[in-house]
Amino acid sequence: MEELLEILNDINPDVDYDKEDNLIDGRVYDSLSIITLITRICDTFDIEIGPKWMRNENFNSAKAMWAMIQAIEEDE
Amino acid sequence: MSITSFTFVAFVFAALILYYLVPKRFQWIILLLASLVFYARYSEKCLLFVLVTAVTVWGAARVMQGLSDGRKAYLKAHKAEMSKEEKSAYKKKIRKQRKMVMLAALLLNLGILCVVKYFHFALAQINALISLTGGEGIADTYRLLVPLGISFYTFQAVGYLVDVYWENCKAEKNFFRMLLFVSFFPQVTQGPISDYEQLSGELFAEHSLSYDNYARGFQRMLWGFMKKMVLANLVAPYVQDVFANYSTYTGISAFIGALFYSVQIYADFSGYMDIMCGLCEMFGIHLTENFERPYFSKSIAEYWRRWHISLGAWFKRYIYFPIAMSNWSRQLAWKSRERFGQGISDVLPATIALVVVWLCTGLWHGASWGYVAWGLVNGLFIILSLWLEHIYAAWKKALRINESAWLWRAFQTVRTFILVTFIKVLPEVGTLSDGFGLWRQIFTEHTLPKTVDELLPALAANGTANFVVIMIMIVLLFVTSLMQRKMPIRDYFARVPLPGRLIIMACGFAVIIIFGVPAMASGGGFLYAQF
Repeated sequence: MEELLEILNDINPDVDYDKEDNLIDGRVYDSLSIITLITRICDTFDIEIGPKWMRNENFNSAKAMWAMIQAIEEDE
Repeated sequence: MSITSFTFVAFVFAALILYYLVPKRFQWIILLLASLVFYARYSEKCLLFVLVTAVTVWGAARVMQGLSDGRKAYLKAHKAEMSKEEKSAYKKKIRKQRKMVMLAALLLNLGILCVVKYFHFALAQINALISLTGGEGIADTYRLLVPLGISFYTFQAVGYLVDVYWENCKAEKNFFRMLLFVSFFPQVTQGPISDYEQLSGELFAEHSLSYDNYARGFQRMLWGFMKKMVLANLVAPYVQDVFANYSTYTGISAFIGALFYSVQIYADFSGYMDIMCGLCEMFGIHLTENFERPYFSKSIAEYWRRWHISLGAWFKRYIYFPIAMSNWSRQLAWKSRERFGQGISDVLPATIALVVVWLCTGLWHGASWGYVAWGLVNGLFIILSLWLEHIYAAWKKALRINESAWLWRAFQTVRTFILVTFIKVLPEVGTLSDGFGLWRQIFTEHTLPKTVDELLPALAANGTANFVVIMIMIVLLFVTSLMQRKMPIRDYFARVPLPGRLIIMACGFAVIIIFGVPAMASGGGFLYAQF
């Protein structure tokens, strides 16, 4: 989780990731930031985030992203 | 069956009566029958195209679901005896089979779309190449049927197919339900392009007769008819005249013509959406919204998040993300990071994906170089705003611009509206060179008209009363859009006492009869139906 928070803070440090649960629906992250975010998550965790995971609810909060990363690791 | 005809009103009325008379579990069957009748009235032959799409997409999705369910059952049964590598190899094998099924259905449906929509365009390009070498070319004597709404229903069906492949939704078991999803009459001609999970939840739910749904649906339909039949159709003759004879117009008149085109296409397309969303509300069904006050956007990118929202969302989900997140795109970004730094590497995948998305968006709208240029110019503005983001930020800081000041926000809105207008007219004037010709006329012809007749000749020819109605409608559209920043306009309307509401609706109806019905001849069909 710490590594994920590091990535998130690097892309947008002005967000409280413990509380924020509307990162995508609230347009805190736009489509460019999402790509940057996904690229860095893939590199850091050595996973593939395929299009099937590209749903707003998977990226709306740090917690949801972490759950998705674990699900992908399990799936792979 | 024209949507602005009395036949359509009678058809809807009959469908509504049947819909609420039958047991609720059969309501969707009434919608299916109504959709098939609606489409067959347009063309029985073209109905075959819809059936082919429904059959192939339904069948492919069922096969993919079967493979997926089989995989889960097999892995569960052999969990203990299989190694991680064996499981992975098995999953890979099934994934490959599912991919082949998806690709076959995808190629068939996109192939049909490409042939009927782009055949003549492709042939013209081949002939142009042949003529360069002195050859005679191929005679274009073929007359292909172009099914109504093929771009819309094919994209909706393809979206469903890919979602089943990605296992984001389960395949529909009932073929007739799939047929309704593909052919649902309020959206088959001009969208919105819905995803299966959202629309199926609405279509197959049981709906009770509700006064609120009826009243709100009727109000929205009336507003939609006013937008289309009154505003869009009254403005149409002026726009057509400017586009057909732009070289005879002064720069200012040509510019007003371009602005009127922006008004016309918005009133036309959003009017259609209001009619259909209102109609669906009467059936108790909520369609995805396609507009969010787009002309109040502050950038081109924002405009495209608020105009034809469902098409933008489709491209984002099925083209933009898969390309930007593909292995080769990420590898390219990774290599560019070593060479050019993090900044370039961050925007490179998005840039590649945006070029493809905007090329496809252009071609989706029409088979002409004008639409290709239109798509690429839109994409260029969005890509430039990505690449120059830091420079803009530095400028704004140096010029001490207060981004929350209303004057700055108003400037951004007007700038975006004018930019969007210039881009919009590019494919609509005629050929691409005519589109650039209109731009040239606006910028180089500086004669100032001396009278109103000289400034707006086509409007003068169509009568002062029509002009006054156009202006009132534009002001009304502007004010209602401003009011909707806080809450939906129908919530304001609901606060008006009943007699007041009835008087307003009667006035709207009268305006449609007096000004809209006679203008039907000049306004013609819906602009987006051609896409």
